[in-house]
Parts: sequence; C-alpha cells; structure tokens
Amino acid sequence: MIVAENIFKSFNGGTVEVLKGISLEVKDGGFVVILGASGSGKSTFMNVLSGLERPDSGKVVYGNEEITAMTDKQLTEFRRREVGFIFQQYYLLAHLSVDKNVKMGADLAGNKSYREIIEKVGLADKLKSKPAQLSGGEQQRVCIARALAKNPRALFLDEPTGALDEATGRNILDYIVKLQRERAFTMVMVTHNTNIAEMADTVIKMNSGKITEISPNALPKSAYEIGW
Amino acid sequence: MVVSIKDGFRLIGVAIVTFCAVFVCTFFLNFYLDAVKIKTINDPDVMVLYNAQITTAKFTCAISGVFLALIAIVMLIFYIKLYIDGNAKQLGVFKALGYSDVKMALRFAAFGLSVFTGTAIGFGSGYAIMPVIYKNMTIEGLPEIAISFHAELLFALVIAPTVIFSALACLYAYCALRKPVCDMLRGKTEIKIKKFKEKVEKERSFLKEMCFKTLGARKSLAFFVAFACFCFSAMVQMSVSMLDLSSATMGGIILAIGAVLAATTLFMAITSLVNGNVKNIAVMKAFGYSLKECSLTVLGGYRVFALIGFALGTVYQFVLLKIMVGIVYKNINSVPDYNFEVSVFFITLAIFIVFYEAVMLLYTYKISKVSVKEVMMEN
Repeated sequence: MIVAENIFKSFNGGTVEVLKGISLEVKDGGFVVILGASGSGKSTFMNVLSGLERPDSGKVVYGNEEITAMTDKQLTEFRRREVGFIFQQYYLLAHLSVDKNVKMGADLAGNKSYREIIEKVGLADKLKSKPAQLSGGEQQRVCIARALAKNPRALFLDEPTGALDEATGRNILDYIVKLQRERAFTMVMVTHNTNIAEMADTVIKMNSGKITEISPNALPKSAYEIGW
Repeated sequence: MVVSIKDGFRLIGVAIVTFCAVFVCTFFLNFYLDAVKIKTINDPDVMVLYNAQITTAKFTCAISGVFLALIAIVMLIFYIKLYIDGNAKQLGVFKALGYSDVKMALRFAAFGLSVFTGTAIGFGSGYAIMPVIYKNMTIEGLPEIAISFHAELLFALVIAPTVIFSALACLYAYCALRKPVCDMLRGKTEIKIKKFKEKVEKERSFLKEMCFKTLGARKSLAFFVAFACFCFSAMVQMSVSMLDLSSATMGGIILAIGAVLAATTLFMAITSLVNGNVKNIAVMKAFGYSLKECSLTVLGGYRVFALIGFALGTVYQFVLLKIMVGIVYKNINSVPDYNFEVSVFFITLAIFIVFYEAVMLLYTYKISKVSVKEVMMEN
C-alpha cells in the first residue's frame, strides 16, 4: 500500500503553493488515475508520490518504508528497487539502441530475460534501431519495456498517450493495463483525458492543489471501450 | 535575433586561446622585427648569440602561433555547432519565418568579437611585458634594442585573425544551418546511423554501453580533454626546463600559459559534456542509478584521453626542446645539456592527477545537483 499523508508542496520560496494538504491511499496492485487541469498539481503530486521530489511537509509511506524520511542515497536506492516511470516525452537515450534502452531498466533488476518484454511490446524486429528511427508509438513502447524490465512494484505514468494518435494510444493503454493485471504492480497515471479514467479502478480528481473527488470504479473499461 | 552581440563575447575558450597565441607572438615578433634592424655585428661570438635569439623568436612564434591558431579554429567550430544544436528550435522558427541561411549565417560573424577580445588583450599584454622580455634577451656587446611599435603586427595579430575567424564562423554556420526546418523545430538530434557494415553490438552492461556511446557521441570533447592535459603536461615540464635553457621569466610565462590553457579547455569540455547529458543523467537518476554510476558513465570514459594527452605532452615537450636546443645552440660551443627529467615528470604527473580528479569531483557535485523534475518540466 502507498500512503500519502497531508502533503504540502510549494515553489518559488513558498509563494506558489502547489499541493495543499493532500492525503491518499493506493492499494497494492491498484490502478489509480489522477485527473486535473494544467496547474492543478497532479504532476507534482505524482513526483512526490514516486520519490522524485520531496514535499515541504507530510509523508509518503510504501508498506513500512517512509520515503519522505530517506536520505538522497536511500531514495535513489528505493527508486532503483521499487519504482518505474513512463514519461510523456519518452526520455529515451538517443544514442542507444532499443535493446540497450530497455537494458537500462533491466540491469537495475538483474533481469536477463528483458528481451521477452521487447518482444511482447512488438519491437523484436527493432532491437538494433535507435529512437530517432522509431515512430512515436514505438518510442512509447520502448519506454514501457524499459520501465517494466526493472520489475517495478509501482509504475508511474505521466500522460503516457499525450503525444500519440488515437489508434496507437489505445493499443498502448491496452497493453499496459494487461501487463499490470498480469504482474499485479501498482499503477498511478496522471492525465487530463477523462476518458482514460474509465479504465482505472480508482479515479482521483484534483483542482488547485487539492483532491476534490475520489471515485472507485467497479467496472473498469478496456482501452477499446472508452471514448477518445 | 539569431546571434546577439552579447553571444559574440561568450566564447571565453576561444578568447583565451587566441590571447595566449597573440601574447607570445607579439613580444617575440616585435623583438624579431626590432632585432633585425641591427645591421652590423662585428664580434663573431655576439653574432652567434644574436642568431640564436632570432631563431628562438621565429621558432617559438611558428610553433605556438600556428598550433594555438588551429586549436582556436577547432574550438570556434565546436562552439558554433553547440550553439546551433542548443538553439535549433529558435533558429528553426527564424527559418520558418523566411530568414535565409545566408542572412542567419552572417549574424554568426559576431563570434569574431571573442577573437577580437582575445587578440586585442593578448597584443596589449604582449606590449606591456615587452620591457621585461627585451631586458632578458639583452646580449652583452650588442647595441641596445629599443621597443618600437609595428603597425603590421597589429594588423597580422589582431585585425586579420578577427576578420578570418568571423568569416570562418559565417561559413561554418551557413553549412550547419542547411538542415530541414522541421528537424530544427523538433530539435531533432542528428544521429549518424550506419546503414552499411553495421557492427554487431557487443553484449555490454548498460553502464559500459552508455559510457562508450557518450564518448562516441562527443568525440570532439575527447580531443579537448586530451588537448587540455597535453598543454598541462607539455607547458609545466617545459617551464621547468626553461630555468636552465632560457630564464625564469620565460619559464614563468610558459607555466602560466599552460595552466590557463589547460584549465580553460578542460572546464569548457567538461561543462559541455555535463550540459549535453543533463537529460540522460536525469532519466538515470529517476530510474535509481546512483551518483557514482551517473558520474562514471558521463565522465569516466574521458580519463584515458586525459592520460594520452599527458603522455603526448611529455613526448612533445622533450622532442621540441631537443630540436630547439640543437637549432638554437648549433654554433655555440657551450651547448646546454638537455635531458629528460624523470623527477619533473613524476611531480608533474602527481600534480596533474590531483588537478584532474579535483575537476572531476567538482563536476560529480554538479551532476548530483541535476534536478530530475526541472529537466522534465522543460518540455
């Protein structure tokens, strides 16, 4: 279980208050979507939740580990062990092949069979290709494979389909959700696309640095059933 | 606008290298031009010493002037490439708006201002130190050589290099700007993909692969690291030898030039290296790679080039001084004994290792400050 308690975060020396006392519980193996407009604080909250950023006050606990009390070194070690990321802008290493980009995640977990994941995301024939030779959808699939190759306990996704067309976006979402159910990792996704929220088992709405609504979803839809 | 006047002054590396080149050439060439005015020397011993000094002046100018000018050209091109890559989106917008490649390239002439700064200060400093140099080079029995101002030197060492470097900057920028507008707007990094004879990728760990690829992607930086260490090694060891062969003043000047060149070039190269890898470092940090791993991946591969540079510098200074002693003192009976000084080599190596590792530590600290979030927010 991931527990966030009374998280406050501000920038510019406290003048811009982005998170105003947020508390949340995410069950192990759950799929949470955080919805909100630009500037609502959803990305900052995800960064705090994933250990990329420290809150001004409040705590984040994974099971028995309070990550907000960790030193930088411990936090790095924690991310290495527990967390995976999928970014909207991909952030692939431009000079490395698909194989080596995925190996970046795999090496952290000592995962020797990472090529199976590359096969599963349908990029077996692109193993030696560089990111610049791939389409947006293919690059996002590399990003997914890289994150999954490190066998994370929690996967954080920041607008994973934001830069993709509808068909590719649906395929990617379908694939991620299937893998999440298969491997039972916790998944937290930030998006402004309300349709995607229908796929999650919990939907959180944020506005002006606060959670305004938490709605459980008993019947999550598949990527091909939602609107776009 | 494309390149502002302010940008033109920013090439500190080029300014420092041109400063060093012009500084040395100014006082040696000025001395040469003043010394050749002496028409009659009756004493054959004085004549030999006089010829030796003329040869030293010509030799030093040719070696240091040409060598440093070439380095300044490489540095200028490197900076312009860096500028174009770093501002690709902005330049793409100008192209999309209808600015021609020629019009934009002409703005790069502003980079000649750095050359002007370096050469002008070098020229002025050369004149400032000239009384000391002339005093050092005084030969007993020879009429006193008075310092005269030579306008042709101002043209050859300040005006001509500024014009040539400005033209070179425009030419290189013109070639580099000839990219599709869309690629520039997307900020697409140019990655050469080998279509033929694709090498089989070796089964290396990610960290080793990343280290190799970082090195491969920025080969010019390997050259600058090697050059910085070459300067340090050659100039420091040469300055010590100068105590016996020339004078403490010359030794001091060489030491100062070597230290300034080495520090400037190394800082410039490593700053570019870290800045160019910020996104990669951020992603590695996000995924949980430790500071040591990130630092080794980015900086580690260049250590071997530093050592190669140091070794080449040692060989260079030894061979150069051997040749110089042979040429300059060929007609002199008491040729100074010049041999390789092992103790100087080891002391220089020890100082070099401390200096290099201190710089690496400083940049490891800089890597530790790379904020994962800020990089993500940029997009």
